[in-house]
Amino acid sequence: MPARTFRSRLASLPAEQDPMSPRLQFDGISKDFPGVRALSDVSFSVGAGEIHGLLGENGAGKSTLLRILSGVYRPSAGRVLIDGVPVTLNNPVAARADGVAMIHQELQQVPRLSVAQNMFLGHPLTRGGLFVARREQERQAASALAALDASIDPAAPLGSLKVAQRQIVEIARALLDRARIVAMDEPTSSLTPSEFERLAKVIKGLARDGVAVVYVSHKLDEVFGICRRATIMRDGAVIDSVELAGVSEHAVVSMMVGRELAQEQHRSHATRDVRLGVRGLSSPKVRDISFDLHRGEVLGIAGLVGSGRTELLRLLAGADRASSGTVEIDGKAVRLSSPRAAIAAGIGLVPEERKREGIVPLRPITSNMALASMGVFARHGVIDHARLRRVAGEKMKRVNLRPFLLDRPIRLFSGGNQQKAIIGRWLAAGTRILLFDEPTRGIDVGAKAEIYHLIEELAAEGHCVIVVSSELPEVIRLADRVLVMREGAIAAELDRASLSEQAIAAHAIPQSQGLGGRAGVQGTGA
Amino acid sequence: MSDLSQAAPARPGAAILQRFSMRDAGTLIGLLVILAVFGALVPGFFAERNLINILQQSSINACLALGMTLVIISGGIDLSVGPTAALSAVISASMLVAGVPFPLAIAAGFVIGLLCGLVNGVLVAYVGLQPFIVTLGTLSTYRALALIYTGGNPVLGLPVSFRAIFNGSLFGLPLAVIIVACVAVIAWIVLKKTPFGEYLLAVGGNEEAAYIAGVPIARTKIAAYMISGLLAALAAQILIGRLGAAEPVLGNLWELDAIAAAAIGGASLMGGKGSIVGTILGAVILGAMRNGLTLMNVQSFYQLLATGLIILAAMLIDRVTRGRG
Repeated sequence: MPARTFRSRLASLPAEQDPMSPRLQFDGISKDFPGVRALSDVSFSVGAGEIHGLLGENGAGKSTLLRILSGVYRPSAGRVLIDGVPVTLNNPVAARADGVAMIHQELQQVPRLSVAQNMFLGHPLTRGGLFVARREQERQAASALAALDASIDPAAPLGSLKVAQRQIVEIARALLDRARIVAMDEPTSSLTPSEFERLAKVIKGLARDGVAVVYVSHKLDEVFGICRRATIMRDGAVIDSVELAGVSEHAVVSMMVGRELAQEQHRSHATRDVRLGVRGLSSPKVRDISFDLHRGEVLGIAGLVGSGRTELLRLLAGADRASSGTVEIDGKAVRLSSPRAAIAAGIGLVPEERKREGIVPLRPITSNMALASMGVFARHGVIDHARLRRVAGEKMKRVNLRPFLLDRPIRLFSGGNQQKAIIGRWLAAGTRILLFDEPTRGIDVGAKAEIYHLIEELAAEGHCVIVVSSELPEVIRLADRVLVMREGAIAAELDRASLSEQAIAAHAIPQSQGLGGRAGVQGTGA
Repeated sequence: MSDLSQAAPARPGAAILQRFSMRDAGTLIGLLVILAVFGALVPGFFAERNLINILQQSSINACLALGMTLVIISGGIDLSVGPTAALSAVISASMLVAGVPFPLAIAAGFVIGLLCGLVNGVLVAYVGLQPFIVTLGTLSTYRALALIYTGGNPVLGLPVSFRAIFNGSLFGLPLAVIIVACVAVIAWIVLKKTPFGEYLLAVGGNEEAAYIAGVPIARTKIAAYMISGLLAALAAQILIGRLGAAEPVLGNLWELDAIAAAAIGGASLMGGKGSIVGTILGAVILGAMRNGLTLMNVQSFYQLLATGLIILAAMLIDRVTRGRG
């Protein structure tokens, strides 16, 4: 049934296309910014019905290329061809008219408007050019959505939908626009495995109907799962376009990074001294959590999104207040009444949403780093800038900030380097217990390995670390011990010997499967 | 953007320093252009006496704008500065007329300013109301208190010796100008060199991140509003010293000039960004324009028009030179 809706849309496409030419072709695209060459001579093509992976580290030029495709930037040289015809993508509206739909990592939607209103945002259906034809919009929205996820109500406010559903809405909007090319930038960075499965089905459906899909993701397993071919970029140039069936993930990573990445094994530095003792910690989202954290230990916390992992970290970081329970550090009870109090007690949070909760975008690296320890740098109420710079230099060297520009606003750095600066913030504050919430979300492979290293080094120096992550390989790579959370409580504790993706998944999934409200689904993910 | 970050020119420090003061340099150029135009059109514009006049006429607005800049950087706005000044003025003035010693009367005026700021700050930081609405409410409230307290009548007959304090001069500069210049230097140090300055920039730049990093959000915001209230009170003392009387309606629309000076100087109403040097230059730009237009006998309607256009032009130039993203 879904296929029919797609096909009927496609039938109305202009038929002037040359069947031999690829649907989308980049031909020698270069892009210069003042003083920087962001893209140099990028050429590759994507056929109709192909899902094409676009891989590369942050800064490789993927986003610039997508911005050219979606009409935000104009190329300095080269052409974009759609169905063999060169197109001028002067602005986002023109790109849309040429059949290019862009699905952003951070969805560009208006939460208060309805699903249908969002789908027609910018070009509403009208009656006589004056009044918005709300009913008609909702009808068309419903028919586009029916093929993808019939449970979405076009009249519901978009803000009431889950991220995964909002993504589906964006794709439905692309269908309404009769997109011939859909570019997706990190579409799954905040989806659970089962939501990804669903999205993957939708993407494959698009491809079956002749849409060319450009799929950007940092998650290699996903790219290998749904793409047949992929183009790998580095430093603004194409390294190679490969058939994924013929290469290993490791080989692809090496191409992205430009060097061999050692595949490292877990090393434990855990001691037996209890540093943090949590007893019966509860809040509206978290139930009766008790555990010990030892000096030098990396404790993993796994569980589905919504299982209370992030909420637990926020309680420990003083960002939210617990309704009952106690926390002891080195045997002494502490009150975590605010982040300030938690920091004074030696606890620091590296938050999940870096942009929203981590960085102050306009401020330089030094200020972002020193934010939690200003008091330390002040003498008689005035900041000792010489000392601040020296410490910032040390810490940023330690975390390997690149480029090493301490005075540059943090927003101009890649996600990985922003993350390094936030870690540096806690190093500067002398924090002994570090809480990481999704430490490598939106961070490229190279920086990811560095952050793993850093976490291990910190543990080796006697810091305590808690890592919350949705990526099971990450948890398994880092953790000495894993707590699996389910519905706000600890469902299981796994030590290294019993640690596996299967074991985590088995404990993470609620037995009664009542959560999604979708009957007949069993054993999501796993 | 992330694409750009990797390969940008590698001259640490210098590039950023340049870019940061670039905005101030732009404001300075704007001021120089305006001075040059009036210098050419108005004979005697560049006379020492007139230049001092401009500074003196700008001093009250500059004083308010400094506080406003700190509030704006914290992500807020203070619409109540005019009425705060009026309330402070009438209370100080009536104490002076009643024979209370100057230091006490002046201190009382400052306390009023701090209290007004405290109320604004508490409503914003602890109650969580929006700064625009809070200070719109206190704008009326403080004005009403000043009117009720005086019955709507001006407080006349301030002691001559009090007036002498603010009308005196030092090294040929009016004392008011020197006082405001000192305040500006202090504000610059506070913003650039103290933890509080960093906190202001962080709270306005990303409140959520500042919270997680342990920045005392509420204290920072309240302090910003209290400083704004205190500087409004200082402006009030300068004004009643100059006039010799305090009217409960004084300071009408002061908030708009103060916001304009801060915005011309590069403060972003989104918070997290602003410059003390820029604000002072912005206040002098507005002062110089008014002075020049008055000397040219331009009708007040056109002066208003010119003020509006200069604000828009400043914002346009700002937008164009910063470019996209």
